[in-house]
Amino acid sequence: MTIPVTQCLMRFDEEHHSLEDYQGGVQRWCNGCGDNAILTAVQRLCRDEGLSPERMVFVSGIGCSSRFPHYMSTYGFHGIHGRAFPIAEGVKMARPDLHVFVNTGDGDCCSIGAAHWIHAIRYNMNLTVLLHDNFVYGLTKKQASPTSPKGLKSNTTPRGADLEALNPISVTLGVQNASFVAQAVDWIPEVLYDIVAAAYRHKGFSFVRIIQRCPEFLPKMLEPWLQDPSKTLLLTHENGVQLSPDMARIYKNQREHDPLDIDRAREIASSDDVIPVGILYRNPDIPCYEDLRGSGQPRPAERIRAGLEAELDAFTVWPDDSTAKHAAA
Amino acid sequence: MTGGPPLTCESQTIGPEPAATLQGQAVFHLTGSRSGDELESIEGGTFRPALLAGYRDLSRLRYDYPVVLVESAADGAFVRSLSSIVDDVLQEVAPPGMEGERLRRQVLRLECELRSLVRDGAKGMLSDLWEKAAASLAVDGGESVEQILSHTGARLSVDGEVIDCDHEVPSRLVAHAWRTTQQQKARRFHDEVNRLLQALSDILRAAFIHSEGGRRPESLQAGVGDLHRDDFDFDVMSRLLGKSAPADELPVARRERIEWAIDVLKRQRFFEPPVGTSLVQAAELPYEYRFSSCAETMTAFGERLSELVEFVKAMSMAALEADGRYLEAKHDPFFDAFGEHALTLEDLALFPDYLVCIDAGDTDAAESAVVTEVLSSDLPVKVLVQTEDVLEESSLGAGHFGFGMRSMQLASTVMGLHDVFILQTTSSNLYQLRGQLLTGLEYAGPALFSIFSGSASPASDLPPYLTSAAAMESRAFVAFTYDPAAGPDLASRFSLEDNPQPEFDWPIEDLEYADEALQRVKEQVAFTIVDFIVCDRRYARHFARIPRSQWNENMIPVDEWLSLDPSDVGQRVPHVNVVDEHNVLYRLIVDAKLMQAARRCREIWHGLQELGGIHNSHAERLLAREKAAWEEEKQRELESLRAEAAATAVVEGAVGAPQVTVAGEGAPGPELAVEEAAEEAPSDDPWIETKRCSTCNECTLINDRMFAYDENKQAYFKDLDAGTFREIVEAAEVCQVAVIHPGKPRNPNEPGLEELIERAKPFQ
Ligand SMILES: Cc1ncc(C[n+]2csc(CCOP(=O)(O)OP(=O)(O)O)c2C)c(N)n1
Ligand code: SF4
Ligand code: SF4
Ligand SMILES: [Mg+2]
Repeated sequence: MTIPVTQCLMRFDEEHHSLEDYQGGVQRWCNGCGDNAILTAVQRLCRDEGLSPERMVFVSGIGCSSRFPHYMSTYGFHGIHGRAFPIAEGVKMARPDLHVFVNTGDGDCCSIGAAHWIHAIRYNMNLTVLLHDNFVYGLTKKQASPTSPKGLKSNTTPRGADLEALNPISVTLGVQNASFVAQAVDWIPEVLYDIVAAAYRHKGFSFVRIIQRCPEFLPKMLEPWLQDPSKTLLLTHENGVQLSPDMARIYKNQREHDPLDIDRAREIASSDDVIPVGILYRNPDIPCYEDLRGSGQPRPAERIRAGLEAELDAFTVWPDDSTAKHAAA
Repeated sequence: MTGGPPLTCESQTIGPEPAATLQGQAVFHLTGSRSGDELESIEGGTFRPALLAGYRDLSRLRYDYPVVLVESAADGAFVRSLSSIVDDVLQEVAPPGMEGERLRRQVLRLECELRSLVRDGAKGMLSDLWEKAAASLAVDGGESVEQILSHTGARLSVDGEVIDCDHEVPSRLVAHAWRTTQQQKARRFHDEVNRLLQALSDILRAAFIHSEGGRRPESLQAGVGDLHRDDFDFDVMSRLLGKSAPADELPVARRERIEWAIDVLKRQRFFEPPVGTSLVQAAELPYEYRFSSCAETMTAFGERLSELVEFVKAMSMAALEADGRYLEAKHDPFFDAFGEHALTLEDLALFPDYLVCIDAGDTDAAESAVVTEVLSSDLPVKVLVQTEDVLEESSLGAGHFGFGMRSMQLASTVMGLHDVFILQTTSSNLYQLRGQLLTGLEYAGPALFSIFSGSASPASDLPPYLTSAAAMESRAFVAFTYDPAAGPDLASRFSLEDNPQPEFDWPIEDLEYADEALQRVKEQVAFTIVDFIVCDRRYARHFARIPRSQWNENMIPVDEWLSLDPSDVGQRVPHVNVVDEHNVLYRLIVDAKLMQAARRCREIWHGLQELGGIHNSHAERLLAREKAAWEEEKQRELESLRAEAAATAVVEGAVGAPQVTVAGEGAPGPELAVEEAAEEAPSDDPWIETKRCSTCNECTLINDRMFAYDENKQAYFKDLDAGTFREIVEAAEVCQVAVIHPGKPRNPNEPGLEELIERAKPFQ
């Protein structure tokens, strides 16, 4: 079998990247912040997959975690609070050829952005979504978020949070068209990397909740899990995560889980004594919204312009005797 | 079985077997000449194999024909059988159970009527023929029946021309499938070309917007829109923006390259331009790709080659430009030298495929050679060789048979070319093999379709469908596929599975008839090549009809006769079962000449079976060898076990015998013990579980000469002497994943060691 000459040339010129090639500005996260580990995992994925920086877009909302696009030397869109999903969906719809990632925080996604989150799951667009869940609003200095555990003392809940925390994995698994749901923790980098890589390779809305340490505001909160590996439940499967012998020796609490089994996934997601880590659910057969709705046709400048004009005209207040109005009508 | 009167036997009683009768039959068999009255000639009669007795009126049967050549097939279903379409309609309109029964019966009557119309030569679209059939049924059933049936016609999910199984079927079906695949190709082609054109014009447009030209007042004005045009002073705006305009527009060479590529991509004549597109305008009419000879195809390809090379070059350049990866130093020399040699099969596959339809009857040696040449040349060409007559007489003259040789020769030569897709089949099976037909047409290289139409057997009374079905059933025209894309070896590429009962020499079918006492008799009979030949009057002289009274034990079925070793044949003569036009069963004996041809046909079939992995002689030999080796091995094992058992009995008997020790298997020698101890001894040096580092920066911030990141951005000790034990202990304390292990101090004089060693303990 041969390949077309164009591909031959492209392969001939294939560039090899190092992590530095993907590094944007210098991180301004606190020392010890779990976001650093997520950044490294993503940069390693880009390098290992040989992704061209100009073919990637990182879209985020607002929060510490949402500063992520600044630290990648790719395209990026540091959006508005809670609106990372609609922006990313627009990018993907217009440019399905680009790899679009979403970085969002627990406040950004599960609080102000919750409505967008639910519908983004249902659209199942081909996006790789990383929810940096540090159980708190970090950027605005320690307010409770929807994932804050009950009783957590914060600036908005000085006597302790009153409500049970929302579980982003259970929520995602409950929405129609969920197609990839996984959970990782920032302090097991090898598994974090594998999960992010699997999410990237899945075609559809790949949702990864990454439990992330915020040593600045919740320095003690995750200590029990850091110190006792048996409190982490590693989900392994030939179609999911496979542990290296080193990891398997440390994280002995393992369970074989087939990512096709959604009922079992829901059951595992709701366990509250251990943190399950692995791919809970994957269904490659759910269609992507961009495939259902996208025309797949190129958009010449004239067509984009005509579309924009029509859209803007709809909001234009026309003078009474405007000839332009008639022309536009 | 339907369609004819029930099968009955000649009503004669079986008489004695006088020696003269046997003698006469043997003479006929050996010499082909009839002596005596008992051997009747079949010339002038219309006989057919007994197994085909039930298929007299095909219009009363539901089978694959007629078919509808579906127009604008969306899902690759370019052809549908009439029956399957009728089933769809019924599914939709007729309620289940008794309620829908009347409607179902009416629609099935219509299907039958439609089949008769087509058999009698009616042509046209399904929707029109449906109306016609409905109208003719209304003559008996009244207006309401016509209305109901027309109404069901409106529910047809597809439409297209209806064709019956006649001599045009191979070329029409293949050409129709070819057009369907070409339409898909055209869509892919235009999508890709449009994408590239879009990307290239975006580059030019972006360059213009950034250029001085783009900042001229009139350009700025054009960008603002009509309504607010008067609100701006575009001269001032132009002056302001002009200050920051980059001096450099697109470099000249790049602009020329992009404009050249756009021009070439737009000028293409390979495919018809898509309807309503502004991007591609064909300067001239698109090229023709259907030919009736391979020589013409080669000429056309040669004439268009330079244009094709230029187009691929433009596409490659455009793709590199669109990706921002065109590097002049690297790519200019490549494109300067770009020519025909750079094209790959996949490049050619982007363009339309040539379709060549030829008649096997016209393929003399010279044309066969051109066919082989075309197929071996990697051209994107699909060749249909249509065979009209499988039983043509050999050029060596009467008495020599070359049954199916011509097509077989071509197919096996072409198979030797290795990379050509081949589908050989008959018209009767073409509908069933529509998927393979598409696979061949979509294959990125050349393909050969060798199809027996079953039509122009001037000496046969069977309709083309039956002739072609009988040819396949009798192994006279074998069906097979050879798909180079299916895998690297013959086992994945070659398949005989579309033949009936491919594991047998001949398919075995049930034959039922009524004997003289009108009792049902059921026999299993083989359908051999002789059954096929018997339908053809040209070969009538090779058969002799034996009256019922002369049937005898020496007459054995053809397949049985063929399976005998020639030296064991003795007096036995082969016979076939046939029926006349009244479905009365007769036996014909066959002469040796024809049996010789039949034997050869079987040998060729055996050869094909081997290729298809059925009764493969190599595999069988290997299996036998392995089996023998395995048995030998087992035997040896058994013997050694026996010997062992005997030895144990001896040892057990000898109490207190000295322990046998084998050198090296005792306690490890001193050297080995030292080595193992060294492996286990913990090092005093500090270390980091690098793979577990979560890149939190804490340790590197403490001392980035001592702690550094590796290529995965995970920490390791870069230089143990670049810092103090204190720094190591502090790093271990701040490392949240606790992967820094401080070890023992390297400098015994470092101050405060005692306290530090204590702090380091939890991290060791
Ligand atoms: C519309 C709007 N509302 C409120 C804010 C203030 N604000 C900024 S970040 C943030 C919460 C961020 O929390 P999270 O998404 O968990 O990110 P983290 O900082 O924890 O990574 C809020 C409420 C804002 N920027 N915009
Ligand atoms: S405040 Fe928390 S989440 Fe934000 S950067 Fe600091 S450690 Fe990270
Ligand atoms: S402190 Fe630990 S986790 Fe952080 S960079 Fe150093 S070794 Fe890695
Ligand atoms: Mg947060």
